[in-house]
Amino acid sequence: MSASTPLTARVMLAAYRALARLLPGTFREMYLAVTLDDLRTLLEVEYGRRGRWGRALTGMRSLFDLAVRIPKEHWNERRNRRDRDHTLEVRGMRMGGWERMSNLMKDFRLAARGLARRPGFTAIAAVTLALGVGATVAIFTVVNSVLIQPLPYPESERIVNVNHHAPGLDLPDLQASPGTMRLYRESATVFAALGAFDDLERNLRVGDQLDRVEVVELTPSMFSVLRVQPRLGRAFTDDDAAEEATSVAILTDATWRGRFGSDPAILGRTVELDGVTTDIIGVMPAGFAFPDPGPVMLAPLYVDPEGAFGEFGMAALARLGPDVTLEAARQQVTDLQGRMTDVDPGITAGFLEQAGWSVSLTPMRDALVKDVRATLWIVLATVGFVLLIACANVANLFLVRAESRQKEIAIRAALGAGRRRLAASFLSESLLLGVLGGALGLLFAYIGVQALVAYGPSDLPRLYDVAIDGTVLAFAAVISVVAGLLFGSIPMMRYLGGAFAALLRDGARGSTEGRERHRARNVLVASQLALALVLLVGSGLMLKSFARLRALDLGFEPEGVLTMTLSLGEGVDRADAAQFYQGVVDEVRGLPGVTAAAATNSLPVRPTGMNGGSFRLEARPTEEGELPPIAMFRAMSKGYLETIGIPLLEGRPMTTSDQSGETPVVWVNETFARAYLDGDALGERLSFADDGDWGEIVGVVGDAREMELMDDIRPFAYLPMLVGEWERFTLSQMVIVVRTAGDPLTVLPAVRRIVREADSTVPLSNARTMEVIVSEAMASTSFTMTLLGIAAMVALLLGAIGLFGVISYVVSQRTREIGVRVALGARGEDVQRMIVRQSVGVLIGGVVLGLAGAFGLTRLMGAILYEVSATDPWTFAGAPVLLVLVSLLASWLPARRATKVDPVEALRAE
Amino acid sequence: MGDEQSMAETASLLPLKPAWFHILLALADGAQHGYAIRSLVEERTEGRVKLWPATLYGSIRELSEEDLIEALEEAEDPDDDARRRYYRLTPRGSELLRAEADRLQALVDAARSSRALGRA
Repeated sequence: MSASTPLTARVMLAAYRALARLLPGTFREMYLAVTLDDLRTLLEVEYGRRGRWGRALTGMRSLFDLAVRIPKEHWNERRNRRDRDHTLEVRGMRMGGWERMSNLMKDFRLAARGLARRPGFTAIAAVTLALGVGATVAIFTVVNSVLIQPLPYPESERIVNVNHHAPGLDLPDLQASPGTMRLYRESATVFAALGAFDDLERNLRVGDQLDRVEVVELTPSMFSVLRVQPRLGRAFTDDDAAEEATSVAILTDATWRGRFGSDPAILGRTVELDGVTTDIIGVMPAGFAFPDPGPVMLAPLYVDPEGAFGEFGMAALARLGPDVTLEAARQQVTDLQGRMTDVDPGITAGFLEQAGWSVSLTPMRDALVKDVRATLWIVLATVGFVLLIACANVANLFLVRAESRQKEIAIRAALGAGRRRLAASFLSESLLLGVLGGALGLLFAYIGVQALVAYGPSDLPRLYDVAIDGTVLAFAAVISVVAGLLFGSIPMMRYLGGAFAALLRDGARGSTEGRERHRARNVLVASQLALALVLLVGSGLMLKSFARLRALDLGFEPEGVLTMTLSLGEGVDRADAAQFYQGVVDEVRGLPGVTAAAATNSLPVRPTGMNGGSFRLEARPTEEGELPPIAMFRAMSKGYLETIGIPLLEGRPMTTSDQSGETPVVWVNETFARAYLDGDALGERLSFADDGDWGEIVGVVGDAREMELMDDIRPFAYLPMLVGEWERFTLSQMVIVVRTAGDPLTVLPAVRRIVREADSTVPLSNARTMEVIVSEAMASTSFTMTLLGIAAMVALLLGAIGLFGVISYVVSQRTREIGVRVALGARGEDVQRMIVRQSVGVLIGGVVLGLAGAFGLTRLMGAILYEVSATDPWTFAGAPVLLVLVSLLASWLPARRATKVDPVEALRAE
Repeated sequence: MGDEQSMAETASLLPLKPAWFHILLALADGAQHGYAIRSLVEERTEGRVKLWPATLYGSIRELSEEDLIEALEEAEDPDDDARRRYYRLTPRGSELLRAEADRLQALVDAARSSRALGRA
């Protein structure tokens, strides 16, 4: 054959062979030889049939055919290789890391495509998840910033707050005093440094500008306690903190930039603090905040080294020495209490025992946040529940979807896809959805955090610190992934466990689904309803707490009262001060719309700087070794009781001559009269001074909430601003209270004018109505209540949606059956009843589970409830009723749809 | 691999590519080698379908991969002394061929029963 092959044929074959080099190697190996043989034969035959031109044409067409075939063969080659890999893997052969990785990528790409193909499903699932994740991350941000992150000082966990307690004297929180400080300074070895501070307001004059600003006074040792140093200039020395030292101050970075325009020559500039010329000697680094970003500057705090034991109320912090444990420090200071007689011989062991005396060292951060810790954890748990409910919803969605993919799953499984691959494909879709929901949730969380910081209760400690940081992002990532795994594994467990054969049967025809199919979904919905019920109960309890708070009898009338602070500054002569305040008050009283006006040194419900002390009763002198009686008291001008609305029960109101202070007079509240004088106080005499004249009790007034809103009422006394020689009040600042007929704020400009005309150098600050102050005192409770309420509503909504979805699905699956029933004569109501009965089982399960859970969990809420039992029967009865109503509504709608089923359509449809 | 799996896969291969159909049909009456397949097909379709070598052997490869045909051991062609590989249908292949024939028949029936082609 080959000998007689003509030239054209040979050229054709050569060309063919050359082109065939582009074919994949495997194909060439197997078929090239026989292909060329065939071609040769072909050319020969064609030449025989149609001659030279026939042969040439044949050759051309063969070449063309080859050219077109080449890409196809490559494609086939690649597909064969992939299938081979798949088969190898199915047979359990190990894959290299690279192939495993590319399988994973393939899974995710497939998952992404699967999700993109059903945008409705993906959107609902992602948004539901995002709501849960967003709420949880937002609250966690607060928890993290406030409770978990350390304070911004080096090794801040070694800074402790020193607090003393005398519950026997009804004084649970004394903080420290100069006397106790002296004891520790002299005898404690566990502290590397010990200091005290005070956060107060001062009048600041810079050039022509006069403002009332927040200043923190601290002892020079505080710089060692906090381990901070000014960035410019120097820290305070002991000389600066001496009694007669020249006044100096250190600015915060924000003040230096804002108020002084980052003046490079700031050191040595002077300002006026409460009228005293003060040198600026330093600037703190940016980011320094003590105790929070509020103070604009630091000033030295003078602590009398020989100071009294009893002058408590001083905030003291200490830094533990190196290698000193908190336990050891606590032990030592407790032991040192026995040495209190060194400080003050009057403080005997017997006295301390009677007072129930103890000292505590609390890490600074814990002391700061102890009031809100319980609230924050409760709120975090609450939103965690909402997240679980959201996951249950998405898990339900996945279950429904998995059911509709039965056939596909079965075929893939029969084709040899191992369990692991099927699981991987399920999980990759849910993980991807988890990540999607998590990312969207992070956006929601960011918005939520902004809202929390803007509208949260202003007395939330470290609120200024709340921000999303690395820890929060890690938390968000973890819960997204866990959520994704969680709701992906539920359908996976359902469908990979069972026999594939059963699923391969044509499931569309025939009887409705078995009960087993329903069980997983029903359990999910029941759990959702249970969680929602727990939240409903919790928020119901909070609502009741808040209502109780609001209904609280304050003992005074806050409506229509305006308050503002006037400050004359330290070192003012008391008689002059009293006269000034009285003068202003008298003028204000004359304004139109003003029904009463007075001055006092602090406000009820907001008792900062409240005075208190021991007193002597003439009729009942204190026995030797007995504790003297103690009471809190306030200074007031004439008309205070009428202005604030405290009723006078016995005796007489204050007169102008009482204000002169020549003869001390006193008013006491009912609790005081009952506690110390058997209810018969009028005419009795007492003294708040160690020696000096007695004051007569000339009136008994109704109990008012002078201290914190939720505290018990204590014995309280009301004194004039000047009280003989008692010298109890410095009168550096007073609060003016004004009762008006209409809106209290309308008289504010007039009052400002009066003050300005009286003395233009006196700043008027903090003008607020009493109603605002009272509602702020309830702010923490109302905020918590709002958050829990929102969470409960969201939970209820999600639970209802879950129930709605499940019932709808059941209805659509049972369309045929419903059609049959209707055709056999069932009425609309019968069908409805049948459907609703479906949900009753789930509902009962949910309610029972929920009540059990609520009963167990709400006792953890005890700390934040007010006058409400954690197992309040009304709430526990009412919440399930609400849940049942909403659930019945949710299942009524699909039930109604079921009645509209056209039996003919239903029977025909497939 | 079970019955159901193969049925599922078989179903997914319909309708058959023309080249496949012709090759399978050509092998329906017995094993053939490549060139013979080409001849048979050309004959059967009265010259309308010509399976050029690359397409022919490419399709033969595909059919082998799909387990629709299989290669016999090489045997001598009595007509010339070149060794040629013979191919024959696998059970799956004949099943597929039957399925395709059924499908085509159904189409023809449908066409004939429609008004366009007049009632048969």
